[in-house]
Amino acid sequence: MAAKANAKQRLEALGHGIFYLAMRLFGQRGGYILLWPVIFSYVLCSRKIKQLSGPYLRRRFPEHGFVRRWRDTLKNLIAFGRVLVDRGWMGVSGEDLQGEIVGYEKLVALAEQGKGVVLLTAHVGNWQTAFAHLGDLPVPVHALMRYDQQAVAKHYFDLRGKERSFAIINSDGPLGGVVEATAALQRGEMVTIMGDRLEGGSFVTVDFLGDAVRLPATAYVLAACVGAPVVVVLAAKTGRKNFQLRVWGVWHPRYENRGERAEMLRESGLKFVKILDNYLRKYPYQWYNFYDFWKQ
Amino acid sequence: MDDLKKRLKEIFVEDLKVQGVTPDEIDDNAPLFGDGLGLDSLDAVELVVLIQKHFNVQIANMDEGREAFASINSLAAYIREHLK
Repeated sequence: MAAKANAKQRLEALGHGIFYLAMRLFGQRGGYILLWPVIFSYVLCSRKIKQLSGPYLRRRFPEHGFVRRWRDTLKNLIAFGRVLVDRGWMGVSGEDLQGEIVGYEKLVALAEQGKGVVLLTAHVGNWQTAFAHLGDLPVPVHALMRYDQQAVAKHYFDLRGKERSFAIINSDGPLGGVVEATAALQRGEMVTIMGDRLEGGSFVTVDFLGDAVRLPATAYVLAACVGAPVVVVLAAKTGRKNFQLRVWGVWHPRYENRGERAEMLRESGLKFVKILDNYLRKYPYQWYNFYDFWKQ
Repeated sequence: MDDLKKRLKEIFVEDLKVQGVTPDEIDDNAPLFGDGLGLDSLDAVELVVLIQKHFNVQIANMDEGREAFASINSLAAYIREHLK
């Protein structure tokens, strides 16, 4: 068993090495070109990869048959692969992607109200790239997230050779980091939270793409308790060297007493999935939750 | 029972809706989270905000929170120490 795991690790390291060599020799395009045969053979041979992307693609494109589903899987994985290549290319070349933040003035205006801002996002687009560019906002930004310092594929924001534009609050910490997040909001700062992936803790159940799904509830309670707005900000890769970070929606979750909390959570969850649905109509292949999202 | 602890117990029952107990029945040494009063991470958010609102005391991180959240006794001690 250990020998098999070692062999797998060595194979992965070899794969990374080949990609890095391609990027050193041929730049970002080299990595992109290499993606095609690798992902094509994965999609052709691996049943598991179809099981991982299938739960989303089946719901997003219910009318697609075998051939179109196969093509959807390929497009989804190529899109994800390009995000990973960008990350590697950044580390190799020291270059950066160019982007725009649509709704930046709105974000600044909300920050200047001094009530704190909950930036709600999701594992879509090149979110790490985009969020690494939030350094110019007038208040400090924190990310409530699970942070794996040992990850083989390093986080984008650790590869830029600059100081990270936000501080990380580790959601693996005691009480999921909510004490630190609450304090940051009380100081009028921003806290980004992934609104899609449930990694334990309290949740709200809503319908998304036709089936019930559990979403984390922390963001909405944080915002409601401190009087902050929830701002949904989603990233998209819009070109080879471009990204867009866009404000998709703003609302103020509120509840007066515990009896109203469940309804506030339901309403907020519904708003979030409606925005996510709109995003995925525009960027259907930039969804990067590769597991059965509806069973989380 | 001193007034601060009494007030905290009222907050737990009235605002945080701790189930099945009256303020007088809450043990001064019972853990606030998990097996004791059964609070969870969402309650922690509300608790931090309520402490700020009622006592103008901020719990900024879990280094402070771990000590403060151990029991009613420790929370009362923390508030006394940090009252502005």
